[in-house]
Amino acid sequence: MFAAIHATDISQTLLLECAHEFSPCVESTAPGIVLLDLYGTERLLGPSREVGKQIYLRAKELGFDAHVVVAANPDAAQYAALGFKGVTFIPREQERQKLAELSVNVLSPSPEISETLENWGIQTFGELAALPSIPLTQRLGQEGLRLQKLARGGSQRFLVADEPEESYVAEFEFDDPIETIESLSFILSRLTQELCERLASRALATSEFRLILELESYQLRTGKDDQIYEHVWKPPRPTSDAKFLCRLVFLDLNEITFEAPIKKIRIEVVPSRPRATQGGLFVPASPEPEKLEITLARIRGVVGSVDENGTACAGSPQTLDSHKPDSFRVQPFSSVAPKQDLPPPVKPSLALRLFRPELESSVELTGDRPHFVKLWKKHRRVVSASGPWSSSGYWWNQSFTWMRDEWDVALKMSKGKIELYRIYLDRLRGKWFVHGAFD
Amino acid sequence: MPFACAIRAQVEAHIPSAFAVYRRPEFKSIQTGISEIDQLTSGIPISALSEICGVGKTSVLLSLLAYATRQEHYCALVDAKDSFDTASAQNIGVDLTHLLWVRCGKSKQELPPLEQAFRVADLLIQGGGFGVVAVDLSNFSERLLNKIQPATWFRFAHVVEKHKTALVFIEPRPYATSCAGLVLNLTRKSETWQGNLLENLTLEVEVVRTRDKKSPHSVRPEVSLQAQWM
Repeated sequence: MFAAIHATDISQTLLLECAHEFSPCVESTAPGIVLLDLYGTERLLGPSREVGKQIYLRAKELGFDAHVVVAANPDAAQYAALGFKGVTFIPREQERQKLAELSVNVLSPSPEISETLENWGIQTFGELAALPSIPLTQRLGQEGLRLQKLARGGSQRFLVADEPEESYVAEFEFDDPIETIESLSFILSRLTQELCERLASRALATSEFRLILELESYQLRTGKDDQIYEHVWKPPRPTSDAKFLCRLVFLDLNEITFEAPIKKIRIEVVPSRPRATQGGLFVPASPEPEKLEITLARIRGVVGSVDENGTACAGSPQTLDSHKPDSFRVQPFSSVAPKQDLPPPVKPSLALRLFRPELESSVELTGDRPHFVKLWKKHRRVVSASGPWSSSGYWWNQSFTWMRDEWDVALKMSKGKIELYRIYLDRLRGKWFVHGAFD
Repeated sequence: MPFACAIRAQVEAHIPSAFAVYRRPEFKSIQTGISEIDQLTSGIPISALSEICGVGKTSVLLSLLAYATRQEHYCALVDAKDSFDTASAQNIGVDLTHLLWVRCGKSKQELPPLEQAFRVADLLIQGGGFGVVAVDLSNFSERLLNKIQPATWFRFAHVVEKHKTALVFIEPRPYATSCAGLVLNLTRKSETWQGNLLENLTLEVEVVRTRDKKSPHSVRPEVSLQAQWM
């Protein structure tokens, strides 16, 4: 069943607000008229016949007079609401009889058709409905046929639902600024829960969670303006799991010390469609994205987020397109990484272990070849050496320029053991370094 | 004997599982990609703790990571001393997008790097979903590694048993003793220099411990690791 609400001299927003209280599927048909889909609301609102009265009374409470019609046909309900006053119920299959008394002007025909109908003496829905369809179409075209179908109450269509602009923002201002994360957790959890419920009610999830904390002004004491802490979390895939979001936020907040008490909290979430994926039957298990994000946050709590150069301490490594040795960056790790086309596997080969930072050393040369290398406070004899392999780069930028002569050397260690190392001469600084060990 | 049977029956009546034999589950394994080692050990066991020690351990580890990531396993490397060379890994064939690299001791955290590495390894195993969790403890002094409590190894072995993860420790020498499901010891045999170039390093592989069966100690295959420019 469908309901139509018609009211004059009130804002469409108020009309829609009233309609949304009775059904999530509402069409803003025209100024002053809205249509509701009442399908599935019987258990909540009672029989359809009664819903019209409920809507009428609610409109009264909101301060306007509404004409409400409940019918099985949305168009029939719409035109009946425009023509009848008060509350009307049109039983199924009786649309034609009920609408028969309405004036054809309610259909808002074009001036030409209106004039023709007037010349024919057609004034009501019933008279228009009684005309034979084929001759009517021959004289008035498809528009005439459409109007007749409406007059007979037999047309069927879907509602074009009005999706209200939903803002997914929640905020709370504390009466007294709070100083502990525990106090914040209650409000943060509640607001996050509310937002996630709103998202879930619209079958949405969030791909971006923004937390804004307004700190108390210390202007009088420190001369600083209000401080704002803002952080954005981007879950690996859209989620509406409030518990997961709260855990993620708290793991990061625990690492932060605020300079002032918190006086206001604001949460903004960006809605997006949830993404359902299914793993392959024959693909090995991968870390669950939400669980992995929590694990990564915990790992960051143990090892720290970034090193002194600003490189992340945990993530997926990526070699840079550079000839400079040990050029890499660390990207966020994700278990939903797309499969890459890899080159064919190579034969097992000798790997290098790096010393970060490189070990400064001194080297004794015989001719131009290393003879002794000082490593861990002892001079080690060079058994074999391969080099020098010269390389340089960034000559156009003095702060990044590098120039080195590399040697791969076999050193005689204690107890006669032989170990392989890579050493190099930094030609800009004129110093020797141990870059790494072959292992 | 009838007397022993009667006692046994009486005990079992009260404690049904008193004489039940605990069978360890069959271990699946991940190949290392080095045929000599795979033939000897049938790979690195999943749901068990393994140790790779000696010279060439990093090369074996990277080969394992390359093989595992190519099988679409997600792997984690807990780098206690930040010595992982991304270029070497890429050359060997590790899919870096499937590798989580955790660099310990790089920021101003209170915990020492060794402690960080153990905690991170614990988190990764508990988190689940990783095919291989490798912990690199190579560059620590023996004195420090000797201080690791046996209970630590026992706990790791116990925890990893419940997960489909191969836990691999890279160390100068084995420390986990009976907690390890597989211990590989690699020793340098020789290296080949071709003129002015280091060509390859030959290693001898010894299986110190396996869980399934006693390894024949006389079999010590040699593995040749080529230099990356070959």
